[in-house]
Amino acid sequence: MTYLNNIFLVFIIFIENKAFAASPLEQFEITRPFGLMEISGIDVSITNSSLMMIAILILLNIFLVLATKKKAIIPGKLQSIAEISYEMIHNTTKDNLGKDGAKFFPLVYSLFMFILLCNMLGLIPYSFTVTSHIIITFAIAFGIFIFATILGFVLHGFKYLRLFLPAGVPIFLAPLLIPIEIVSYISRPISLAVRLAANMMAGHTMIKVFAGFVVALGIFGIAPFIFIVLLYILETLIAFLQAYVFAVLTCLYLSDSFHPGH
Amino acid sequence: MNKKGEVEKSLNELSEKIDSIKKKEEFNKNKSKRNYTGLAHAFKIVSELFANVLVGGCIGWTLDYFLNTKPIFLIIFLIIGIISGIYTSYKSSKKWQE
Repeated sequence: MTYLNNIFLVFIIFIENKAFAASPLEQFEITRPFGLMEISGIDVSITNSSLMMIAILILLNIFLVLATKKKAIIPGKLQSIAEISYEMIHNTTKDNLGKDGAKFFPLVYSLFMFILLCNMLGLIPYSFTVTSHIIITFAIAFGIFIFATILGFVLHGFKYLRLFLPAGVPIFLAPLLIPIEIVSYISRPISLAVRLAANMMAGHTMIKVFAGFVVALGIFGIAPFIFIVLLYILETLIAFLQAYVFAVLTCLYLSDSFHPGH
Repeated sequence: MNKKGEVEKSLNELSEKIDSIKKKEEFNKNKSKRNYTGLAHAFKIVSELFANVLVGGCIGWTLDYFLNTKPIFLIIFLIIGIISGIYTSYKSSKKWQE
């Protein structure tokens, strides 16, 4: 037992000693690779985060244009990736939004592809994970939230407020149920943002912590090294899954603004 | 005549083989789909539970800050947040099970 404790203590000392392992949170630091740029006192410099986003947008456009250029009947590798992603999101929008889904397919598809690439390219060493910062995910989620709310009011007028009192609920339950529904409505963008950012940040921090073990343990570092390999597989799954969940929930929230009663 | 019968027999065998492979593929597809939507749903519930409590606490704290009624609204809205977190995840689970 004391032996195990000693090993644990050595681990902690190695984590805290920055000579051996860099801080696991260092990878989330915002830097300015091109120096400070200012327009009338406002900081508009290109950070590593925005550089990564620009790179992702360019990559995404090049990929989709190249993949759909040939339009072969028997699709090649690139074309089938594009087709599978298209079909998956198309089915999701159709399942959740019905016949209204076609209008919002471009929105949901571009959201999904952007977040998917942000998550996936963040797994490459020395790159930057855009979605690990909660302000980025919150900005996206809050945009969707505002859009869905305005859409609901435009489509239904003040009847949209029926969302807060489901049909068939006895009236004496209303004072209890309305605050609950309002809190749960406001919490939607926060739950979207927190889920994505927390998953990305936790995974990357964990990989970095175990990478520190590999350096610190010398020859015994093979054990955490194997663990990192397995963790990378899990992280790839989570990167895909979180982008998918984001797309599905966007569809769900948009469908609520179409049919508020239930 | 004999040759034709043999060809037919082998054709039938082939179609049976194709059918069984197709069935297997469909089963696997459904299985994997069910699995990852389950995981997605778990992530959804966890974040809902957390976010509802957070929002409830924030609303309560803000009301207290402006009305100078230090702990009252914070407590009320924290309780409402916890209830609504459980209620929301219950509702989404029910929707998912259908």
